[in-house]
Formats: sequence, structure tokens, C-alpha cells
Amino acid sequence: MRQQYAWRSLILNTCLALAAIAILLQMVRIQASAEAEQFRQQANAFAGEWKTYFPERGKIYDRNGHLLAGNQSVYEVGVDLAAMRDPHSIALALSVNLGKDYDQIYSNLLNPPEGISYLVIDNFADSNAVAYLKQLKEELTNQPSALASLAGLEFHARLQRSYPEGALASNVLGFVNREGRGYFGIEEKYNDLLAGQPVQVWVPSDPNRAVEIPRIPNGTSLILTIDRELQGALESILDEALYTYGAQYGAIVVINPKNGEVLGMASTPRMDLNTFWQYNSIYNNASEFNRPVTMPYEPGSVIKILTMAAALDSGLVTPETTYLDTGSIQVGGNTIKNWNEEAWGLQNMVGCLQHSLNVCMTWLATQMGPQTFYGYMNLFGLGKPTGIDLGGEAAGRLKLPGDADWYPVDLGTNSFGQGVAVTPIQLMTAATAIANGGRMVTPHVLYAQLRDGHQFTVSPQYAGSPIKPETAATLNEMLAISLEAESSQALVPGYRVAGKTGTAQIPTPYGFYDAYQTNASFIGWGPVDDPQFMVYVWLERPTASIWGSETAAPVFSTVVQKTVVLLDIPPDAVRLHLTAP
Amino acid sequence: MTIAHFQVIMDSVHSFSHAFKQAPWRIQRQWVSLFLSLTLGFAVVAALYLMVTSQATILGRQIQDLREEILVTQYKNADLQTELARLTSQAEIERRAYEMGFRPIQPQEVEYLAVSGYTPPQAALLASTPELRPNTPTLRQEYNQSLLSWLDERLQLPGGMP
Repeated sequence: MRQQYAWRSLILNTCLALAAIAILLQMVRIQASAEAEQFRQQANAFAGEWKTYFPERGKIYDRNGHLLAGNQSVYEVGVDLAAMRDPHSIALALSVNLGKDYDQIYSNLLNPPEGISYLVIDNFADSNAVAYLKQLKEELTNQPSALASLAGLEFHARLQRSYPEGALASNVLGFVNREGRGYFGIEEKYNDLLAGQPVQVWVPSDPNRAVEIPRIPNGTSLILTIDRELQGALESILDEALYTYGAQYGAIVVINPKNGEVLGMASTPRMDLNTFWQYNSIYNNASEFNRPVTMPYEPGSVIKILTMAAALDSGLVTPETTYLDTGSIQVGGNTIKNWNEEAWGLQNMVGCLQHSLNVCMTWLATQMGPQTFYGYMNLFGLGKPTGIDLGGEAAGRLKLPGDADWYPVDLGTNSFGQGVAVTPIQLMTAATAIANGGRMVTPHVLYAQLRDGHQFTVSPQYAGSPIKPETAATLNEMLAISLEAESSQALVPGYRVAGKTGTAQIPTPYGFYDAYQTNASFIGWGPVDDPQFMVYVWLERPTASIWGSETAAPVFSTVVQKTVVLLDIPPDAVRLHLTAP
Repeated sequence: MTIAHFQVIMDSVHSFSHAFKQAPWRIQRQWVSLFLSLTLGFAVVAALYLMVTSQATILGRQIQDLREEILVTQYKNADLQTELARLTSQAEIERRAYEMGFRPIQPQEVEYLAVSGYTPPQAALLASTPELRPNTPTLRQEYNQSLLSWLDERLQLPGGMP
């Protein structure tokens, strides 16, 4: 009997052991199967997610610390389809508050694309609208008896560029698109600095596996040399000038000729940077965005200051040198005439500038010869970008002897600003050599960087010395006298200024100049004995008068009168009295 | 020693062991004690593990919440800064100034006074730490001056070339 129990026990134990082994084997088989791998992958997919942490884009301030470009939160609004209970209410709430199409949202919620568990409805929802939606959702959640439900509606905040000044200095700042990339101006030039370095981190859903998220430093903030008040004044003056003189477009730039700081830069058209998507409806091409930097043009007589600088510096003439103007001169088989096609008789060099004589300038260029003349133009930086720290700077064009499209007559026409394309900022850079004792400065818009709690100030850069200090002083005086002798409309009561007008015919696509449309320009600076500002005015196609002396010159005077008040520059008499020992 | 002797010795040992064997209830009690001790040990370890993991979970969740809070605060901060800038924008200040009866000053209306020790306003210093100038990108004259202009400058020095 006992033996029988022993056998039964042995058989039962063996069966149980076999069953246990079978279970173990089955467990191992299931764990190693392809389906198990698939399940593991599915589980991993929900175990966490790769998140990209974008640093806050650096802010942009004007020189007095006013915010020109900041950030504000916008929301991604989406629906978690698994948690959604009432698609009708969600579609209705979103259509009313976000202005979306009810039918489209409702249809998408009921028939989402295959494999989608979260449906994005709006990527850039306004924070006010989202605040209201959040409140509505909370109220409905707290009322179990409510017939409607916004369960499943989710909001995810992020930062987007915002421009509190709207269109002010839009041409200088540029804009940032929705992908976070900067276009034009400062936003383009310093995009990498402003944007900072995004960091990708695996964030597990399981709080037991909380990982440390590395510290993500914000993008570098920038302080510009721009003065907000002056910028606003320049834009107002420019808009008024376009209206008064019937000009199509225009630009006004104010810089400090001693260190190249751009204090204000106005250009038309402008746009509200908060609605940057209107870019295509405002601008025909990229060069219109910031005319002083991106649009080269034939400047006309303002370039005569460079021709005269070259002639004086090379020793060809002195202010007292005389020239008998007969009203025309032959160069390369072509006849060049004065702007009024008249002879001005015996003139000294101040008279040549005062009356803006093309014939006299052509004579100077031919006497210097192409090598000397173009050598100086090269030193002044014509045909080369100035290096200003704004996106899309144009180089202009200076044809040189040896170029396929250079002809001997170009030596004459270039001397008075025809057949050469420059940007206003190029001419200003060249003119800083005259205002700044022979030393050219590189214009710049960045004053300082703010990074990790430190402020790094940018030092001015000098771009060479194309002329001697005494040449600069002589020409400075000549330009001031020529304005005073002419009783120019550019003169400013109480302040002695130097400058030159420019009236340039506009070349047509057919190879000749339009007789009735001009570019009116003026470049000037002051006070002559200690220049603290340099102003460039460009009015495109003015209709009230085609002459720069009657359009751009008075605008220069208005700009200077505003500038001296905003920059606290006292009249010459007061300043000299205050600084006298 | 013969096998018989060995047998006798083994029998004696066996009799000795039987004489001192513990009572069965005592052995059972020892086994039960051992089992209970092990169970208690496991329970303590399990309780500690649960306590530590639950604390870690709570802390992990708190970290996640704080992180979210930091983000929300940063966003609020950015929103407020932008809103403040909008309220004090150039156009807004100008509009309010006009509303209050102010008008732009003309150059001839400005009066200048000599104030000893006065320094004109400088550009903004927005950093909390002192201003740094770690790099001086200014090129020295030697690097942007042509050979001719350098020679010219030297020749014009009093006494000519050094």
C-alpha cells in the first residue's frame, strides 16, 4: 500500500515539474518572440519622448535700454482624441474663440487621420484666447451636470518673437519667422547669437526615471546703437518729406562719424514686424527692405566730395586753384556738360563744389588720371561692402579700367556720380574720412552683447585712412563755405554744417537716363569743428522739384534740428562758450 | 580493527545520538521561527523599498511640476516685459504726451547751463555685472594703413623718418 502511494506521489510530482518546466519554456519563448519585441517597442514609444528645449531668443534693446524685440507666449492648441468626449463642443469653442472653421474641425475630430491620437488645431493661438478657453474648460469640468465638455482639449505654450514698437526700425531689426529663423537686419546678421543652442533631451513619462534637464542658456541679448526717439523722429520726417515732395520712396540715416555708431536709419516702406507674413505684399524684392544698406543707386553730385578729396589729397589742386568753366568738356569722345548746360566761367575749387559743376569735376578726374582717381575711390571703399552688421548689404558697383563695360568716358561721369552705384551707407562711410580727420570708420549697429550676466561692448573699427588729416580739414571747411555761400536750405540756425547736395538722373532699362525723374540726395555733418552727427537723405523720384537742393537739403536741415535736440548738442556759440577755458 | 569491532562502535554512536535528539515540537518551532524571521526580513525590505520608491516618485513628480512652473513663470515674465515695452513704446509715449498737452521742443527753445561735474548720458548698461571688453576688434593702424600712407606720415613727422 505504501509502495503504491509512493508511485502515485512520484507520478504527480513529475507531472507538476513538467508543467512548471513547460510554463518556464513558454515564458522564455514569449519573451523572445517577434510579437514581444513589437510590444516592447510600443511600450517604449509611450515611456517618454525626445523633447527639444529651445532657449529663449535673445532680446534686442535700443541704446537707452528700450526693448525693441522681445518674446511672448503663443499656444499650440490640440485635442487628445482618446480623452475627447464631446467633439461638437470642442469644435464650437475653437471656432468661436480661435476663428477656425467649425465644420472642418468637427469633421477632423470625427475622422482623424489613421494612427493619430493627438490632433493639432492651431499652432500659434493667441494667449488671451487660450486663457478664455482654459477657463471655459475648467468651468465645464467642475460642473458634472454640464451638457458640454471640453475634455481632451490641450494647450502647450511656447515663446514667439514679438516687437512692441511695431514698425519702428523694422528695416534695422528684420524679423523672425515661425520656424525661429531671422531674416534681414539684425535678426539675420546675429541669428545664431540671438537664437542660442537648442538641446534635445529624452524625458521619461515615469516619474521614477526623472532625468536631469541640462541648463539651457538663453540666446544672447543685444543692445543697439540706435536711439529709439531719434529713429521715431527720422521716420516721421521721412514720411512727411515723401508727402511734401511727392517722392516715391526714401531713406534717412544718422551716424556718429567719430565711431561709426548708427543712431537712426529710416527707410520706406516699413512694415509691422508682428505681421511679418505681409512681407510679400509690401516689398517687391529684398533690396527694398532697408534701402540705405541693401539698395545701391547712382548718387549723383554727392560723390563730388570724394572726387575733390582725391584731387586735394593727391596735390593736384588747392581750394584756391582756379578753373575756367566753359560749360562742356570732352572725355573719351563724349561731351560732358553742367547740370544747367551753362558755362560758369572762372571758378576756384570752392566754387566748383558750391555750383556743383560736372565739367570741373570731370576736369579734376582727367587731370588725376584713372589710376589715381580709381585708386582713391577704392580707398574710400566704393564697390565693396562696408561691413555694417546688417543682413543683405549690397556692394554697389564701381567699374574699373580693364572691366569689359568700362569706357574712358566713365572716368568723367564717375567723378560726378553717374555710372557708379553706391549705397547711402557706403557714401557715409567714405565721408567719415572727411569728417573724422582722414580716418574712415566702419558703420555698425551693435553697441553691446548681453551674455551670462555680462555686457560686452563693441569697440569701433577703423577702415583705413584714404586721405590726410589736413586734406580732411581743408575739404571740411570748403564744404561748409560752399553751403553758406549758396545760402543753402540745408543750413541749420546756430550750427555750422558741411555737406553736399546730389541730383541724379535715373537710368532706364533701355540704356539712357530718364530726363524727368531723379534721385535727390544730401550728405552732411556737423558741427564742422567737432562733428558729432552725419546725416544722409535720399528721396527717390520727387515730383515737387527734381533738385536735391530744393528737396533733400531742407529735409537735412529738419533732421539736424531734431537730432541736436535729442542728442543734447548745444548750438556752436553755446558749446564753444561752455567749453572755453 | 575487524568489521565486528567497527559495527559495535557505530551502534554505540547511534544509541548516543538517539539519547540526545531534540523533541520534534522544538524542531518545528525552530523552523517556524526561521520562516517568520525571513518573512519579517522580506517585509521590512519590501516596506523600505516601497517607501523609498514612493518618495522618489513623489519627488520626481514635484520636479516635473516645478520645471513646468519655471517654464510658465519664464513665459509670464517674457509676456509682461513685452507688454510693458508696448505700453511704453515710442508711439504710445508720444501719444500720451500730446494728450497731456506737451509738444516737441524746438532747438531755439532749449536752454543750456554749465553744470560742473555733469557727465552726458551714456548708452545703457543692462548687465548686473561690470562692463567687460574682452575683445578689442579695433585694428591697429599698422593693419589698415597702406605702405604709402605710412611712409607719408613718417616723412611728415618733425625731423623726417626716425
